[in-house]
Amino acid sequence: MRTLLAHITAFFRKRELDRDLDQELAVHLNLATEDNIRRGLSPEEARRDALIRFGGVEAAREHHRDARGLPWLDSMLQDIRYELRTLRRDAAFTTAALLILALGIGANTAVFSLGNVFLFRPLPVKDADRLTVVAVQSKADSDPDQVSYPDYLDYRAHSSAVFTGMTGYAISIVGLGYQGHADRLILSYVPSNFFSMLGIRPALGRVIEPGEGDAPKSGPVVVLGHSYWEKRFGGDPNVIGHTASLDGTAVTVIGVVPKEFVGPYNLVEMDGYAPIGMMGFGSNADFFTSREDHEVRVLATLKPGVGIPQAQAALNVVGQRLALEYPHADQGQRVRVFSERTARPEPAAADSKPLVATVFLMMVGLVLMVACLNVANLLLGRAAAREKEFAIRAAIGAGRRRLLRQLLTESMLLAVGGAVGGAILGNWVGHLLNGLRPLGDFPLRLAFAFDWRVFTYVAGVALLAGILAGLAPALRVSRTDLNLTLRESGRGLIGESGRHWLRNGLVIAQVAGSLILLVAAGLFIRSLTRAESIDLGFDPHNVLNVSLDPGLQGYSQPRAEALCRELLRRTQTLPDVRSASIAFSIPLGYYNNGAPVYAEAQAPSPSQHIPGAGLNAVSPDYFTTMRMRILEGRAFTDADTAAAEPVAIVNQTMAERLWPHRDAVGKRFSYTAASGPFVTVVGVVHDAKITSLLDAPGMCFYVPQTQHYQSIHVLQVRTAVPPESLAPAVEGLLRELDPNLPVYEVMSMEKSLEGANGFLLFKVGASFAGALGGLGLLLAVVGVYGVVSYSAGRRRHEIGIRMALGAQRGTIFRLVISQAVLLLGLGIALGVAAALGVSRLLASLLVGVSAHDPITFAGVSGVLMAVALLACFIPAHRAARVEPMAALRDQ
Amino acid sequence: MANPKLDLLQGTLDVMVLQTLRAIGPLHGYGIARRIEQISGNQVLLNQGTIYASLVRLQQRGWIAAEWGASDNNRKAKFYSITRNGRKQLTADAAHWQRLADVMGRMLAMSPGGETR
Repeated sequence: MRTLLAHITAFFRKRELDRDLDQELAVHLNLATEDNIRRGLSPEEARRDALIRFGGVEAAREHHRDARGLPWLDSMLQDIRYELRTLRRDAAFTTAALLILALGIGANTAVFSLGNVFLFRPLPVKDADRLTVVAVQSKADSDPDQVSYPDYLDYRAHSSAVFTGMTGYAISIVGLGYQGHADRLILSYVPSNFFSMLGIRPALGRVIEPGEGDAPKSGPVVVLGHSYWEKRFGGDPNVIGHTASLDGTAVTVIGVVPKEFVGPYNLVEMDGYAPIGMMGFGSNADFFTSREDHEVRVLATLKPGVGIPQAQAALNVVGQRLALEYPHADQGQRVRVFSERTARPEPAAADSKPLVATVFLMMVGLVLMVACLNVANLLLGRAAAREKEFAIRAAIGAGRRRLLRQLLTESMLLAVGGAVGGAILGNWVGHLLNGLRPLGDFPLRLAFAFDWRVFTYVAGVALLAGILAGLAPALRVSRTDLNLTLRESGRGLIGESGRHWLRNGLVIAQVAGSLILLVAAGLFIRSLTRAESIDLGFDPHNVLNVSLDPGLQGYSQPRAEALCRELLRRTQTLPDVRSASIAFSIPLGYYNNGAPVYAEAQAPSPSQHIPGAGLNAVSPDYFTTMRMRILEGRAFTDADTAAAEPVAIVNQTMAERLWPHRDAVGKRFSYTAASGPFVTVVGVVHDAKITSLLDAPGMCFYVPQTQHYQSIHVLQVRTAVPPESLAPAVEGLLRELDPNLPVYEVMSMEKSLEGANGFLLFKVGASFAGALGGLGLLLAVVGVYGVVSYSAGRRRHEIGIRMALGAQRGTIFRLVISQAVLLLGLGIALGVAAALGVSRLLASLLVGVSAHDPITFAGVSGVLMAVALLACFIPAHRAARVEPMAALRDQ
Repeated sequence: MANPKLDLLQGTLDVMVLQTLRAIGPLHGYGIARRIEQISGNQVLLNQGTIYASLVRLQQRGWIAAEWGASDNNRKAKFYSITRNGRKQLTADAAHWQRLADVMGRMLAMSPGGETR
């Protein structure tokens, strides 16, 4: 150990030790010379004898260095210096190789960063590795979703055998007023054990303490999110202890959470936290008692040593008991436990996420493979050109292992360069994604930080790339027979056919790999187009959405209603406005309302599950504006006032489910309790996609806003011109009505459909797959071009002879192109076969398109063939223009 | 890192250096080389330069120590002396070489009939 230390120190103190040694050797020679003079030799003789007996000063120095230092490191540095010099000389090769590797590694970095956000990075909370998400599926085939508050309490009370703690949060959009200014906040209502269970200590003030504000209408305090505190209060610590108003209720600001804790929800940073009891002041009075109202996102920490299956089993027991006790709400409900990381961003994603992750990791793996094959091919070509250099080096005594090491050094150097480039590229893509705001001012947060996991991954990938890309050429060169090479006067013909096969094989593999990527990209893109042409049941074109929440400014219900009436009236008078309406929520947006429905005179049996339905409160012109067809009965009118008979319009599905084969119009149902109050169905509307793009529409009903007040409003304007162009006019109207009223999410309906419940996932999937496919295409084209132009160059002599013997330029052109066609044909055939095998994996991620879609397969094959052949026109053209005499003279 | 295997010649040189330093006390490189040549009766053909690789090796193992000092005629020179660890090592090495020499001696004393003389 000490010896090793001495060696390492010696390595780094090289200059000092060399000086020391030189001095010592000089002393030695002087002493020897003096001895010789004393023995009677002349000074010159004496010096000469001393030098002879010393036996080579340089050799002694070399031995000394080897003995004291790290000779392998020395020779490695030598290799690196040497290779850096050669790489610099061969700039075209180096640039191409670096670029290819950087693209391959960059794609990997970007995808891994994404995976890091959704899969790997733990939440900055206590025992993050044992944190789980508990969710329920209300039916066997529905997605895992939030839990009702009473159910949460039961699960929590009866699971202490498997969990050290269970807590939850209910995300809500609230208004926080402070000194006359109101903000719209994303806030979590949390049980009082939330902060203690997650081990979050306040950065300032205090957090909600166990026992604080669990009872309805208690705990009037708020804890601020760190970013919000900095943004809104400029990081002023004096805000602690002050009073603010939370949706109209006075609360005390008690603290600020630490900067690194952005909340329990992966994609959104919380602006604040309030005790769950505060929900009692809201409009949803049933929250604490209703088992139908699924609002709590449940988190639980496993006991050490307890696995998810055990926890699952324990909760199943509780779930079965709940189903028996509360059949109306909980029958058929299934409870699920996921590790927190798999349940990001929503537990609904947990089941398909491993598949999605596998598909994308496979795709980037393929990109990397194609990139490596490409670089290996470049290195092979280069090694062939350098064959003579290696033969000479071997002849003057470089060991085979040394040569091999040198080649690997070269590819590793390229890989390191590629990794640096790739990391920069990947980070840049990450930043692009960071800047992505899919929906207006919704604070989506994709924190692509460059952390050590990404770094380790990139470094590992680069190492692998270096070894993979360098191995084949290195082995080839080290096996070359140096006598033959030298004798062949450097033409390097040995193993020519063998090497050609290797290089051709590599290109074929590249083409095949790229084809698989392109097929995946094509399928995702076709899937997106199919999804976009799905019949939504409403017309999203030429509609402008503007959200407002008068409640934030302290509007009472009558004042808000007056404001909305006036807003609608004035909007309808604007030029280019066809119609305007106001609704609580928009289809496929971020929030929806729902309620259990009870048909009149169909009293549910005690053990029956009460169905839920989507609920929207709308103004009379809603169906005109959205172009949703009323199939029976009528739309709402201005006569449907608060004082008039309560009415509703139901969708087809609801009409058929509640009153099968009967006329729904005129029937009554309740969305409060089996005993009423009841609303009368006045119309049936065509089904529309409200909550999910892909699922069949569920039950859904609409009530007049006058009869069901909610503070959040979305003004929807159908326009005769591009909807965004009317945004300034509409916003101007709102400012006239109340300059202080904040408006948000001003965008066209088409744009808002790009959100998470709309096309976002298809778009992200298609653009990611498309980018990877494009990268694969580029790499394959570069690879084919490289090999074809290389071999055309090697065949210059042969081409010269052919032309001298009378071959036409067209024949030569075809000769070169036919090689490209052969390589591409084989690669594509291989790729298609492989893609048919693996594309089945994608089947469940595709919409409206088969995993073996012949159009996609034929299309991408054609594109790959065409683009690559186009690139090969360059070398073919060059070959066809060879001057036979010049080519023959060159030899 | 493992120490590189010493071939026989290297190994013998190290022992010779250690033995010289134990017998005579602190010496500079030239002095050690001369002394080895003298003791061996000029039998070993020693490239004096190789002694320095041996010296640095022994030094890194902690068997000898080095210090710049003044030589007889007041010249600055680097003096080497054996350390406690070096003495221990030398004792072990000496025993090893002694045994090897004995065995070799007996082997070479073997007569054609297989009898030892």
